[in-house]
Amino acid sequence: MTTPPVSRRALFGAGVAAAGAGVGAAAGIAGATAATGVNPFTAATNGDESIDLSQSHPFYATAARQPQGGVQTAPQRYCVFMTFDVSSSVATDLQVLLARWSASIAQLQAGKTVGSVEPAHGDGVGADTGEALDLGPASLTVTVGLGPGIFDERFGLASKKPSHLAAIPTLPSDNLDEGLTGGDLSLQACADDPQVAYHAVRDLARMARGTATVRWTVLGFGRASAGPNQSTPRNLMGFKDGTRNITTDEDYDRFVWIDDAGDGADWMRGGTYQVARKIRMNIEIWDADVVSDQQRVFGRTKIEGAPLSGGSEHTTPDFAAADKSGATKIDPTSHIALAAHEANDGVKILRRPYNYTDGLNQYGQLDAGLLFTAYMNDPEHFTRLQRKLGASDRLNEYISHIGSAVFAVPPAPRKGSYIGEQLFR
Amino acid sequence: MPSARTARPHSARHTLSALGALGVVTALALTGCANSSTTASGTASSSGKVSRVSVTLTNDGSDKCAVSETKVPAGPVTFTVKNESSTAITEVELLQDQRILGEKENLAPGLDAVRFTATLTGGNYQVYCPGAEQELTDFTVTGKVTSTANSSAATLLDEGTKGYAEYVDGQVTDMVTAVKQLQADVDKGDLAAAKTDYANARPFYEHVESDVDGFVKKGYKATDNAGNLDYLIDMRASNLDDAVGWSGFHAVERDLFEAGAITDTTKQTAAALTENVELLAKLVPTLDYKPEDLANGAAGLLEEVQSNKVTGEEEAYSHIDLVDLAANVEGARQAFAYLKPGLTKLDPTLTKQIAKQFDATNTLMDDYRNADDLGGFDTWDAATKASDANKISQQVQALQDPLSRLAEKVATA
Repeated sequence: MTTPPVSRRALFGAGVAAAGAGVGAAAGIAGATAATGVNPFTAATNGDESIDLSQSHPFYATAARQPQGGVQTAPQRYCVFMTFDVSSSVATDLQVLLARWSASIAQLQAGKTVGSVEPAHGDGVGADTGEALDLGPASLTVTVGLGPGIFDERFGLASKKPSHLAAIPTLPSDNLDEGLTGGDLSLQACADDPQVAYHAVRDLARMARGTATVRWTVLGFGRASAGPNQSTPRNLMGFKDGTRNITTDEDYDRFVWIDDAGDGADWMRGGTYQVARKIRMNIEIWDADVVSDQQRVFGRTKIEGAPLSGGSEHTTPDFAAADKSGATKIDPTSHIALAAHEANDGVKILRRPYNYTDGLNQYGQLDAGLLFTAYMNDPEHFTRLQRKLGASDRLNEYISHIGSAVFAVPPAPRKGSYIGEQLFR
Repeated sequence: MPSARTARPHSARHTLSALGALGVVTALALTGCANSSTTASGTASSSGKVSRVSVTLTNDGSDKCAVSETKVPAGPVTFTVKNESSTAITEVELLQDQRILGEKENLAPGLDAVRFTATLTGGNYQVYCPGAEQELTDFTVTGKVTSTANSSAATLLDEGTKGYAEYVDGQVTDMVTAVKQLQADVDKGDLAAAKTDYANARPFYEHVESDVDGFVKKGYKATDNAGNLDYLIDMRASNLDDAVGWSGFHAVERDLFEAGAITDTTKQTAAALTENVELLAKLVPTLDYKPEDLANGAAGLLEEVQSNKVTGEEEAYSHIDLVDLAANVEGARQAFAYLKPGLTKLDPTLTKQIAKQFDATNTLMDDYRNADDLGGFDTWDAATKASDANKISQQVQALQDPLSRLAEKVATA
């Protein structure tokens, strides 16, 4: 991974961000006051990340096999995920769309528009819708994925299909809604300002009209995973999520980046696979569960996030440790016990989820959950884990997998090229 | 363009020649089809040497269109177009007198350079890069000057507007007949016949709604809904002005379909509807149209589809929203069809794109045709809406997108 690291810890008062006044307000102060000293709260707490909305990530690769942003990129605060069906069956239409998307994403990530907002003629329609003007790049990354349908009979691309790209099989406890599954293309737009992320998806969807139609979308907030130097955030169940996530370059090479995607799919080297699951939480039921049971479900304490076998958050769980009665301290059907790489032939996947809410459901309950986005060099690694979790995870009582899709995420293009160019050579 | 459900000043796009003088009807002359044959190339220069011109599209903060040569000798000229980094510019055209002599579309960064060649006689041309900071670059060809002008796009568009005016007049004339039939069956107290009449009358209004929604009765202020013909004819329950009350199509619809009873009020409402539609039919022939009025009107009809029909808001009691929806699409298609001869000259690719999406929309709507239901389309009930609204909405959106570029094209012709 050679994307230059971008520091997310601008040295201005953590109190501003912590006050929850909104990232926009925080950014305004960031621009006006250079930090002159260390805020005592900054040093004392771990929730000290402040947002610098002027940060940007480059889109184009500067070396071979460099991945797209939005995978190893330190998770931004907000994310919009959308999938599309390609309605055209002409390969050139798909090619033009990927080329236009690529160039546009490069500009959007730099904080620019994708064209004029006010065209010279009053009768003209703006090329850019304009709502992200003056908001800054906000660390936007847009990640483009290609679904299995791209390699069906429509576009003549079957011979270039990555070997592991296939629809996720039905898994235990699946409760999928057809309207929330699949897609020929995916866009994952993450940024520290939700309007920047939404603008990107909106203008890219607009560009796709006539070639692709929208299929399903999720608006994510409150990153539920941590990158390097980020504290572990919490999902809507109130627990830290992703304490044992992939962090080292060695693990990225081993579990995330594709080294050999099979015959005809050399173009995917340096890329990865994206699995997206929309997981609904039964919020009211969970909230009524006593904290000792909640901790038993996860296998961790709620505030610290320490494994129930003892220690602190990052202490390696001891799944064999037993209490006086002889029972293991960490329940064998707890979430962390089943998901642990120690229990899955060492397999790890990169989890990059966000929380979501869709308001209220038809029963007047809070309709919310987790947009679980994960990256791996073989989607079978996800299905292996989820097969086990879906069968016996104590958490299943409180969640429901309602959406699912898988995409191949090609490596980033170099300047002058575009995502997936090799498919059309 | 918002639906004119509430009072608003006259639409500035129309030339209302005789608003007060209702008796005066301006006859619109229909000119015959002019000879539309034309040729993009004039007399080639004798040298036979090909001139080469590069057009490079870039973005370094703003979108730029750079033309390598702006003066070449008469003869064949090859334009090589390469999009280096511009996301806003997706097409390049060579123009003379608003006519397209050559063009390349779907230009995206990263794609290979593309070429087109035109044989040009001496004269003034322009390289047009829509979306660029400077869209037009003057391009001069020197040498023997031979006129290539024939029937210009502007002439064809102008003829189209006249043909379209006839179409609109025909629709409001038929609307008068249809609402009179509705009134007759309401007066007879024949509920079943009146329901059928209602569904048969609606399409005439929905075909031309965006052209006829700007009228105010004589002696009323533009802000007074009591004088706003669109309000009086087509007001929905959701946007009522209490000071004026409710009349028109949808008040009749409520009685026929919700109450399921014809009362004296229904009869009065139906009579008032006839009166207002007859007034409309006198006013409409006073309108004349510019090409962009047709384009904007077509776009307005599709916005009506998205905002009121797909949602089921328009026909809240009869649920014949698909009848209205198909009529909006048909009205937009008519406007496009009248612009098509001229538009083909201006931009053959856009013409094809729009035509293709109209075909796709009609094909989709064919799935909902049903001779057994009122108005010939499936009932837009909650279940159908839940399962199919998204599909229809997205297809209409795919049509709206190329159509939204139409007004600018024809306005600058």
